[in-house]
Amino acid sequence: MASAAISRGEVLHLYRSLLRTARQFCDYNIREYTKRRTIDAFRQNQNLTDSAAISAAYSDGKSQLDVAKRQAIVYSLYAPTIKSVMEA
Amino acid sequence: MATKLLASALRQTLNKKTTSSSLHRCLSTAAALTTAPPSQNDEAMTIKGLKISARPLYLDMQATSPVDPRVLDAMLPYYLARYGNPHSRTHLYGWESDQAVETARSQIADLIGASPKEIVFTSGATESNNISVKGVMKFYKEKKRHVVTTQTEHKCVLDSCRHLQQEGFEVTYLPVGNDGIVDLEKLRGSIRPDTGLVSVMAVNNEIGVIQPMEEIGKICREFNVPFHTDAAQALGKIPVDVDRWNVSLMSLSGHKIYGPKGVGALYMRRRPRIRVEAQMNGGWTREGDKERDSAYAISGGNGRGMRAGEEGDGERLLNGVRAKLDGVVVNGSVERRYAGNLNLSFAYVEGESLLMGLKDVAVSSGSACTSASLEPSYVLRALGVDEDMAHTSIRFGIGRFTTEEEIDRAVELTVQQVDKLREMSPLYEMVKEGIDIKQIQWSQH
Repeated sequence: MASAAISRGEVLHLYRSLLRTARQFCDYNIREYTKRRTIDAFRQNQNLTDSAAISAAYSDGKSQLDVAKRQAIVYSLYAPTIKSVMEA
Repeated sequence: MATKLLASALRQTLNKKTTSSSLHRCLSTAAALTTAPPSQNDEAMTIKGLKISARPLYLDMQATSPVDPRVLDAMLPYYLARYGNPHSRTHLYGWESDQAVETARSQIADLIGASPKEIVFTSGATESNNISVKGVMKFYKEKKRHVVTTQTEHKCVLDSCRHLQQEGFEVTYLPVGNDGIVDLEKLRGSIRPDTGLVSVMAVNNEIGVIQPMEEIGKICREFNVPFHTDAAQALGKIPVDVDRWNVSLMSLSGHKIYGPKGVGALYMRRRPRIRVEAQMNGGWTREGDKERDSAYAISGGNGRGMRAGEEGDGERLLNGVRAKLDGVVVNGSVERRYAGNLNLSFAYVEGESLLMGLKDVAVSSGSACTSASLEPSYVLRALGVDEDMAHTSIRFGIGRFTTEEEIDRAVELTVQQVDKLREMSPLYEMVKEGIDIKQIQWSQH
């Protein structure tokens, strides 16, 4: 474990990036879920003190961000022509 | 040219600031033109003669669930460059697919407390159930001639049992109580020396009740009878453990838990070893101990989908509906149930009209109109639900991607529709006046 401790700034940046990416999902349910899941996960991990645990959670979040970024594009490519009743 | 347009569209999304709500409609038309399937007009579409202007909110998670984007993300590479056959032993393509299959296998094994060697991939829970019921009985046919199951099993288990009956096996279909739970004493009493299998599903697909798996497992251990369970609706929703339940076989399904369609798994215990006769030849090598060729690619995503944690909450829906309506009955046990599967009957309402009126909510029903048969659901009948109540039953399936706002909207729409139908109903008027409609002698025409 050579990596340095994760700074508060980096964590907040990851959090905001995830929320920003969540908003890019054109699917109502996926968009809301991604937001909810992001908030829940950060809340759940907010009291982590062990630096190994923090960096594990951080790198997990990073890879989830990559997934979300890719999938937001995939979803947009096949977006249905009509919206969910929840947005109509 | 097309690829250029697509690439520029992709770059656009990546760079776009996410302030405007128009983004939700996603991307430039260039992408839509080059990649999307033929698009209808933006405002509405017509399907089955209905003009639909918005996608209904989806509350039919027991039918199938949406694929989790994380699952799709894990699967996509195996539909692109990594298309090898996991059985190809001579090149990279085979090796990387094989690795993906093995990863999926151990993820699934972890979920149910099994060893990866005990997991076989199938085309779905239906195939797993067929292999379990028919495969076990045919393998041990010299000594074992009897199967115990329940009246509320999935169609594919019941049909497999019927098939066995035609071949001379005997089957006991255990009745269930009003709450949909099997009576353990009756189960114990039905086991005979030549019983070769007990098959009871963990969570019922129609009414969501949870059977006492541990207790059934104990009885099976006592009589040394293999225990099979269809856990397609249970995995990811209730704790599943093959040792605590003492199951010898367990059927699992990908698409019920945000995984890929067309992929399932079968758990087959190694100690003590349970053997089955293959139902399909050639796809399985070594007595069916290998996964089917076709399952490999998608199974890369399977384990991910099954790693469920967050699940639906039917309480909110039930409380919402109960707060505003009388004559609402929950079908099946209220205590022993998976909360994301709520089966409700609305008294004095005609089922078909209710479903037609609920066109903004995608739900399923136990009434005749949604299925091929004219009879109401056999599961509800096994519970002893009156025919009129069975005809007005609706199954609400809540899942990982359902929002609280959707549940509230579903409550609002259901209440509205039921109120409207009751207002028109002479039956409801008579009940309000205190007439017992069960006593009415209807004249024949």
